[in-house]
Amino acid sequence: MRQPSVRARRVAAASVGLVLAVGAAACGPKDNDAKGSGGDSTPHKGGTLTVLNAGVGPTENFDPARLYTSGGGNVPSLVFRTLTTRNRENGAAGAKVVPDLATDTGRPDKDATVWTYTLKKGLKYEDGTAITSADIKYGIERSFAPELSGGAPYLRDWLVGAADYQGPYKDKKGLSAIETPDARTIVFHLNKPEGEFPYLATQTQFAPVPKSKDTGTKYAEHPVSSGPYKVVRNENNGEHIVLERNTYWSTATDAERKAYPDKVDVKSGLDSSVINQRLSASQGADATAVTVDTNLGPAELAKVTGDKQLASRVGTGHFGYTNYIAFNPTVKPFNNVKVRQAISYAVDRSSVINAAGGSALAEAATTYLPNQKSFGYTPYDLFPAGKTGNAAKAKELLKEAGYPNGLTVTLTHSNAKNFETSPEIATALQDALKQAGITVKLQGLEDNDYSDKIHNVKTEPGFFLAHWGADWPSGGPFLAPIFDGRQIVKDGANFNTGLLNDKSVNAEIDAINKLTDLDAAAKRWGALDKKIGEQALTVPLFHPVYKRLVGKDIRNVVISDWTGVLDISQVAVK
Amino acid sequence: MSGFAGFALRRAMGAVLTLLVISVIIYVVFYATPGNVAQITCGPRCSPEQVHQVAQQLKLDDPLYLRYWHFLEGILVGQDYSTGTSVAHCSAPCLGQSYQSDQQVTQIILTKLPVSLSLVVGAMVLWLLMGVGTGVLSAWRRGRFSERALTGLTLAGVATPVFVIGLVLMIVICGQLELLPFPEYVSFTDDPEQWAWSLLLPWFTLALNEAAYFARLTRASMLETLAEDHIRTFRAYGVGERSLVGRHALRGALAPIIALNANDFGSAVGGAVLIETLFGLPGIGQELVHAVNVVDLPVVVGMVLVIGFFVVLANAVADVLYAVADRRVVLT
Amino acid sequence: MSEALVAAEAAGAGVEPVPGASGARQFWRRLRTQRAALVAAAVVALLVLVALAAPLLTAVEGQDPTTYHPSLVDSARGGVPIGSFGGIGGDHWLGVEPQTGRDLFARLVYGARVSLGVALGATAVQVLIGVVVGVTSALGNRWVDQLLSRATDIIVAMPLMIMALALLAIVPSSFPRPVLVALIIGFVAWGTIAKIARAQTLTLKELDYVAAARLSGWSTWRIARRELLPGLAAPVITYAALMVPANIAIEAALSFLGVGVKPPTPSWGQMLTSANVWYQAAPQYLLLPAGALFVTVLALTVLGDGVRTALDPRAASRLRVGTGGKREAKAAAEKEVES
Repeated sequence: MRQPSVRARRVAAASVGLVLAVGAAACGPKDNDAKGSGGDSTPHKGGTLTVLNAGVGPTENFDPARLYTSGGGNVPSLVFRTLTTRNRENGAAGAKVVPDLATDTGRPDKDATVWTYTLKKGLKYEDGTAITSADIKYGIERSFAPELSGGAPYLRDWLVGAADYQGPYKDKKGLSAIETPDARTIVFHLNKPEGEFPYLATQTQFAPVPKSKDTGTKYAEHPVSSGPYKVVRNENNGEHIVLERNTYWSTATDAERKAYPDKVDVKSGLDSSVINQRLSASQGADATAVTVDTNLGPAELAKVTGDKQLASRVGTGHFGYTNYIAFNPTVKPFNNVKVRQAISYAVDRSSVINAAGGSALAEAATTYLPNQKSFGYTPYDLFPAGKTGNAAKAKELLKEAGYPNGLTVTLTHSNAKNFETSPEIATALQDALKQAGITVKLQGLEDNDYSDKIHNVKTEPGFFLAHWGADWPSGGPFLAPIFDGRQIVKDGANFNTGLLNDKSVNAEIDAINKLTDLDAAAKRWGALDKKIGEQALTVPLFHPVYKRLVGKDIRNVVISDWTGVLDISQVAVK
Repeated sequence: MSGFAGFALRRAMGAVLTLLVISVIIYVVFYATPGNVAQITCGPRCSPEQVHQVAQQLKLDDPLYLRYWHFLEGILVGQDYSTGTSVAHCSAPCLGQSYQSDQQVTQIILTKLPVSLSLVVGAMVLWLLMGVGTGVLSAWRRGRFSERALTGLTLAGVATPVFVIGLVLMIVICGQLELLPFPEYVSFTDDPEQWAWSLLLPWFTLALNEAAYFARLTRASMLETLAEDHIRTFRAYGVGERSLVGRHALRGALAPIIALNANDFGSAVGGAVLIETLFGLPGIGQELVHAVNVVDLPVVVGMVLVIGFFVVLANAVADVLYAVADRRVVLT
Repeated sequence: MSEALVAAEAAGAGVEPVPGASGARQFWRRLRTQRAALVAAAVVALLVLVALAAPLLTAVEGQDPTTYHPSLVDSARGGVPIGSFGGIGGDHWLGVEPQTGRDLFARLVYGARVSLGVALGATAVQVLIGVVVGVTSALGNRWVDQLLSRATDIIVAMPLMIMALALLAIVPSSFPRPVLVALIIGFVAWGTIAKIARAQTLTLKELDYVAAARLSGWSTWRIARRELLPGLAAPVITYAALMVPANIAIEAALSFLGVGVKPPTPSWGQMLTSANVWYQAAPQYLLLPAGALFVTVLALTVLGDGVRTALDPRAASRLRVGTGGKREAKAAAEKEVES
């Protein structure tokens, strides 16, 4: 009879495994106006930076083989340098790939099926030993071990012969697709042309791991650092990580990371409103604190319009991410394209955006691709619903489809209380579709059950909420897994929820993958997005906007279009 | 066997049996829970082959009874786990290894338990002081206005939901008035002073609700004792009111207070999840809820057993104390 | 199994049996003398009435709990309701909900249905299972008693929330949710009532009139129904009256976890969960359901106290002892002066 009041810590990052928090893209260079207070705003070395996080996801399993990041992650990229990395600049410039351990972003052969990299000279680990190309090969190989599962599927799909490879613990032969002719050269052989390989090389799986220091599942406790900081404390699997300077790192070999603070203290699993309270109050050690995953809450949003001092400490960023409604065209009545179009006309994006936190935290989306140049964003609104939905047009389409008296459908969503697939968005949609004569029954599932069902072709519901994030800022990782017919998985996790298998779409994807000119590729991804959009297999709802506070003594806030979150490697506390 | 030794042995056997049955129930219930555990553990972008490999590695495809048998084996003789590069031995009693983090469950418990215990022990001291103190006061001043006021206050304490109080207190005391720093757990061994300061607010929040129950219980028990015959006799002999209330009535009320305290202490160790979550205290409750969300069965079972152990232990201690306080009771 | 705890729970309830109809009349008479309990009863009755009449009340207001009014909230500032005090006015008696613009009064009264309904249902389940298990355990032979007592211990030792979480995840979502939540809360928390019932039955079993009934050849079932159950009434009803507020809190906590009733069905627990972060920007959103919960729990607790006092004949004398404090103190003081 006591109060057993309990609250779940919903692991937002883990549940759909799309890149959240650590490593997120931003846009809007003009929006970056967060800077520290104090007369002198030039950054200096020294001090301790505190990072306060709500989710445990991003730093869980601090093992480069297991992390799933976009562009190498935020905290991880302080410790794990990779062949290439994100360009650490504000705005759209930040969505580009630049060399990190390598001398350039990679030299492809004429088919873009063989990529060659040369390592810089003088690269050292935290213990002074030299970094070699064999270490990078080993780092990639160990990510195939079932004991170290996690990460994105590209290595498995792209490298020749990797589909059956089970990692170095079981398979002593190693991956033949990766050659290391000498200590500073590494060559990758791919199954098919991939012009975007340099983007892939930013992921933590491309961080070097010395084979003699590999301790398998225990490696995460003290991974060997190739970056400006080394791990001195990792409690409870990422709950509390403390980083100190790696004296063997030097700016001579690393033009990207500034590494001003002497120490970085990362705490996860805190309550979001408390994080905002602390950053807002900015007392004591919190004055040199930041967060990488907690948006402003309602209290802060309400205050920000009136409080200039607080407003100056808010960093705004965008990450390539879309929240949408997905249809399964093998389930009635969604096999009828007019029904799908009718729903597209009927949605009320303003109430959905309100449910997601308001117009400060979400932007209406009418395209599947995120609204950033690097994705090749081509604005289109094929089924204009206006701000609050076009119920009249929706009714008309329903009549044409054979449902003059309206329709009853079931919308499946997760019960997880995050702003993406949450019950609140589902209810907002339910209310809006009512106006168009569509009665929506809500089917809220427990998060794991939901994830299971929507990603399995046998159990996929007809009508459900979904979201997708960018593994890197390009149309490729956004469109291919979702709309490439050859990506349909019959007996496992399937992400092509529209079950689209259109030969011309598949062919276009292959053609774009051959291009190594990323700007040209972007344009074609944008055009492809519009073409697929005509089939109304999804109804884009909104793109999230990240608005995060920093402590009052924080300097040099840089938010790129790649991550949308301030880059810890650039931040100074003095 | 009779006496204390007999009691202890019977209780111990009962505890083991109880915990065993609980572990079976958890296994069965989570076996039926939807969610592809191998997929969740492997990661959302894992291919079917990878998921299958993980399932094999974690022995997730074994029938239920076999999985439970492995679990028992671990407790009795320990178990070996592959780290990839070597083999790690988990010595008996081995509660298994987390699916998600590959940490040994006993290790996780040893890290999280001190946090929960810090929270609950401190809160217990507070709620006993506040609760029993208020109860004694209202019994002493019964019939007067101050008693009614205190009764009203305790009713308010019972009725306010904890998850409202906690956040409001934090915003007001730490954010606006800046009387205390925002709570963050500091281990006692690191810095005892910080440990106490940072736990002050969580202690108070947890204690508030409990104290109200205790105040009511104390008052009711004391009034009941005061109505008994032997008190009337004392009064007839001229024993002062303060002495009657303070010594005699309170002693009579001790038994139920002890009992209730033990029960609440035991369940609070695992049940103070909300406080832990709100104040960022990495304790058992929070870990348990997280483990349930990702269906990390070894961690769930391990934590539930720890909580169950504390409840059973607390009840046993309570019975002992009850017998000491009230000599009419016989330990069974 | 903690005998101590059982004794503690029954402490205020009184162990003396109150058999038959005369007990009921005494009960009502005693209840009538306690003003606080009567006020509380009236409040509870009012709440139940409001809950039952929710559709009527919202029709009078002209709103319903599910319609969104996005124009009434300021999207750029996170969805704060426009207008003072959260948009209170003739249209919306208690203002609107942030982010959605749904009418708060409507959500509050419909939420009352869920919160009260689930709590009462859960209590009923707990009493049913608890009494059956407790009585059977006390009347049965040694093995039955051991078995059922062990089962009771297990239920008591299992963490409530985890079992609720797991069970709620298993049952398919087509099953009506409020009923399910009530069943599950009832199912995981019947332990203490079982213990109380068992302890009380053990005591009653030894009494003369029960022995007489047994000697007369009455079947166990008949004895249980005619002689024992009325004796159980006191402690069980007392505890049940105190369980209702606790169950309301449990339902609120389950909503916090996201496994309570499903949207768009409102419940106070759900409202509190969402409202927690709105404390500074829109305090009424938090204070209204918190206040409603507060009043309900308060009223039920006072009522529970009153019921307990009315059921326990000794409580009456305790009352007199209580109010006589001043007189006795004065008498004691005079004695001291004399000696």
